[in-house]
Amino acid sequence: MSIALKAQSVSIAFGGVAALQDVSVDFPEREIIGIIGPNGAGKTALLNVICGMTPPDEGEIFLHDVSLSGMKPSDVASLGLRRTFQSSQLFPGMSVLENMMCGLHLMGSTKLFGAVFRSQAMKDEEAEMRRRAMEALNFVGFKHFADRPGSALSFGQQRIIEIARTLIYEPKVVLLDEPAVGLSVTRVAELETLLRRIRDERGVTLIMIEHVIRLVMGVSDRIVVLNSGQKIAEGQPAEVRNDPMVIEAYLGHQAANE
Amino acid sequence: MQFFLGKRTFLIVLFGALLLMPSLANEYHIFIANLVMLYIILALGLNMLIGFAGQLAFANAAMYGIGAYGAGLLMKHFAWPYWAAAPGGMLIAMAAGTLLALPALRMSGIYLALTTLAFAQFVWWLMTHWTSVTFGAGGFIPPPIDFSPIPVTQEIGIYYLTWVAAILLYLAAKNTMASSIGRAFVAIRDGEVAAESLGINLLRYKALAFAISGFYAGTAGALYGGMLGFVGPESFDLLQMILHKAAVVIGGLGSIIGSVIGGVLLTVSVEITKELKWSIEMAFGALLMLFVLFQPTGLVTFIKRWVPGWREHLQYLPEREAQRSIDVEASVEDVGITSTDESAQERRP
Amino acid sequence: MEMFSYLMATGISTGALYALVALGLVVVYKATSVVNFAHGEMFMLGGFLAFTFHVMLGWQYMVSLVLAVVGSFVLGIGVDRVAFRPLMQRQTLVSVLLCMVGLSFFLKGLARHLWGGKGDYLTFPPLVSPEPMQFGGIMIMSQQLVVLVACGIVMAVFMVFFKLTRAGRFMQATADNPKAARLVGLRVDRVYMMTFGVGAAVAGAAGVLMAPLTLLYPDMGFMLFIKGFAAAVLGGLTSIPGALLGGFLIGIIEQMAAGYIHTGLQEVAAFIIIMVVMIFRPTGLLGGSRRRKV
Repeated sequence: MSIALKAQSVSIAFGGVAALQDVSVDFPEREIIGIIGPNGAGKTALLNVICGMTPPDEGEIFLHDVSLSGMKPSDVASLGLRRTFQSSQLFPGMSVLENMMCGLHLMGSTKLFGAVFRSQAMKDEEAEMRRRAMEALNFVGFKHFADRPGSALSFGQQRIIEIARTLIYEPKVVLLDEPAVGLSVTRVAELETLLRRIRDERGVTLIMIEHVIRLVMGVSDRIVVLNSGQKIAEGQPAEVRNDPMVIEAYLGHQAANE
Repeated sequence: MQFFLGKRTFLIVLFGALLLMPSLANEYHIFIANLVMLYIILALGLNMLIGFAGQLAFANAAMYGIGAYGAGLLMKHFAWPYWAAAPGGMLIAMAAGTLLALPALRMSGIYLALTTLAFAQFVWWLMTHWTSVTFGAGGFIPPPIDFSPIPVTQEIGIYYLTWVAAILLYLAAKNTMASSIGRAFVAIRDGEVAAESLGINLLRYKALAFAISGFYAGTAGALYGGMLGFVGPESFDLLQMILHKAAVVIGGLGSIIGSVIGGVLLTVSVEITKELKWSIEMAFGALLMLFVLFQPTGLVTFIKRWVPGWREHLQYLPEREAQRSIDVEASVEDVGITSTDESAQERRP
Repeated sequence: MEMFSYLMATGISTGALYALVALGLVVVYKATSVVNFAHGEMFMLGGFLAFTFHVMLGWQYMVSLVLAVVGSFVLGIGVDRVAFRPLMQRQTLVSVLLCMVGLSFFLKGLARHLWGGKGDYLTFPPLVSPEPMQFGGIMIMSQQLVVLVACGIVMAVFMVFFKLTRAGRFMQATADNPKAARLVGLRVDRVYMMTFGVGAAVAGAAGVLMAPLTLLYPDMGFMLFIKGFAAAVLGGLTSIPGALLGGFLIGIIEQMAAGYIHTGLQEVAAFIIIMVVMIFRPTGLLGGSRRRKV
């Protein structure tokens, strides 16, 4: 079982408050790993560190043994790591199809010259991008939305497209920040199936922050639990569910809030 | 029907008319027509930067001036011929524009707007005070431009040169925005964080947007200097900046053909305003406000709604961005607890 | 020593004016996340209104001052209703800014149109005799002293308003967390309106105070806006004490640079400061960290 992504001793603090403290996690290839924990546990902080948005104070991230330290998010993306965000990040200024084509950005190799003069190479590339984008839209059943503006879709639909957009150009690891937010119960079930298909058919490692426990427990191969910036549990869903420290973290947190 | 009312027809008619101008009209009209073409170029460049890439910059008039001064001074101080000095001016303007990409990486919105504005004022100050180089507030007259062996006067020669430039720059703009570069620009405008996570290198594309607008403005500047036969700071002040912005907004932010329309309308409106002896400041201040309030996507939106044949790529303007920018990063989770907020907090001081 | 003290005195008194302008900017920015591009025009019109009341209509100075400040307050509310409120929900930040830019130009043109008949530059009579006073080895114009004291009073009044009155505390609360403020039941749009009004009033007061020191002309609005912005940015755009500190610093730096290095620098010092601060320390001297939007 090889490791797709490794977070090693990651620590980061904001304004004196430690968001992550010496967190180390191995994310194996071709698995769905859920990250759970009470609010403020550092889950999104971890995602932000992994994808390069916030460099950690200490520690390192390795993507297939390549260190990501010092890299910008766009560099990290070019190595095969994508992510989604909690709020919809579908670009409203372009059509759904064009949004999908943005996901293929890294496929493009034509420079300014090709764009300005509309070289044949550029036209071929555009056609290919268009074809792949349409195919992906078809895959999630949104072909008829292709030319509508990004903002025309409902929130739930936008999130599905966003996930599709991260998948379109052969990512190795995809970080999903609360993918089920805003989705109806039926859509969550569809999402569950979609995630499994992505893992199995595309061989992608999915790392998912989620609060919808049913989804996380149902679909994850393993779960990592964070609390107050530290990793307190890790393992199969059944183990984690019954781990006393985890239970205390959630209950304790609840008690503290009451 | 589509052909007759479409974009292409409009452009053919417009540029055809402009081509024929010198043989049909008087000197004044030729001057105005020349200005129309210059404003088309200026609006195209600025639109790609603020309309497509969403970088709110206020330095376009300064770039325009740098192009004019660059070309003129290369001719005056170093006796370069125009065919070398003009590209020289264009490149200097492009370089200056690109420099502004550096602050653009670190800040956005009002911060960027005012930093670029400060830069523009600084450049203007240099134009008026660095007398030894720029000849100060009175400006200077560059050496006359010789188009031989083509038998045209400077005036006519520059006119046709501008005509060619306007067409080429229009096509370049259209093609570039229809490519993945255009999509990258809009992605940056609509959600730069997500854009980055899709692999779009922010520095590269912001620098490109600034470089392009600098290049376009610089080209217009070099041509303007040739057209007037004079270069002086008063043509490149804050009012000029507002006129550029007005051209882009009136035509349509984020629309290439809109910039053509905007350039034409702006020039014509300025002349009408002058004729009527109205205050340009009041007229264009009000016009800018009215358009922003009631039709921010510009006149081109009307046209697109009613006339077939005017579709473009990337033509939707974001309406909901206000929720992200102005509403202080608030989301339902945000009344204190959100993890997104915490983690994103220290990304930029 | 004399030149130094003269420069210092001028720097501090003009700095006090910049501080007031910056204060208005920061207050509005903190509450609404918008920098009012037409802020300079509030300042300019404050001065022009005072001119109208005091010089053209011959009313008492203090009366004119109060009326001009009230007028500016009303103008500020106007800006909110015309440029900010309609765009706040619907449009992008770019639009709000552009609208305010348009407004600023419109007001400038309007001023030129309404008062231009008297010549582009208007003089305002001095408040006190223009003789310099001496304190030990330090020379200061009594006019400047008056301005300095007056600015101090305006700042104090503002602080009292902001910290002690209900309206002021509402403004603070909204500035810190508009969503929460709305949830708690504050009429946020009313508070915004108030904020714009107060910010403009402060600027207008500065305009009136500046009037006797120098000529009044329509373009002064933009100049003061840039300098006010430079001061605000230097101090940290989210910090009120920073705005005040920034104002004084800019005033002093300007004078010192002009006096000791090159007179032309007086105009351009503010621009250079903006660029330098933005590139090297965008939070300014006293500002907190800025959040990145996701």
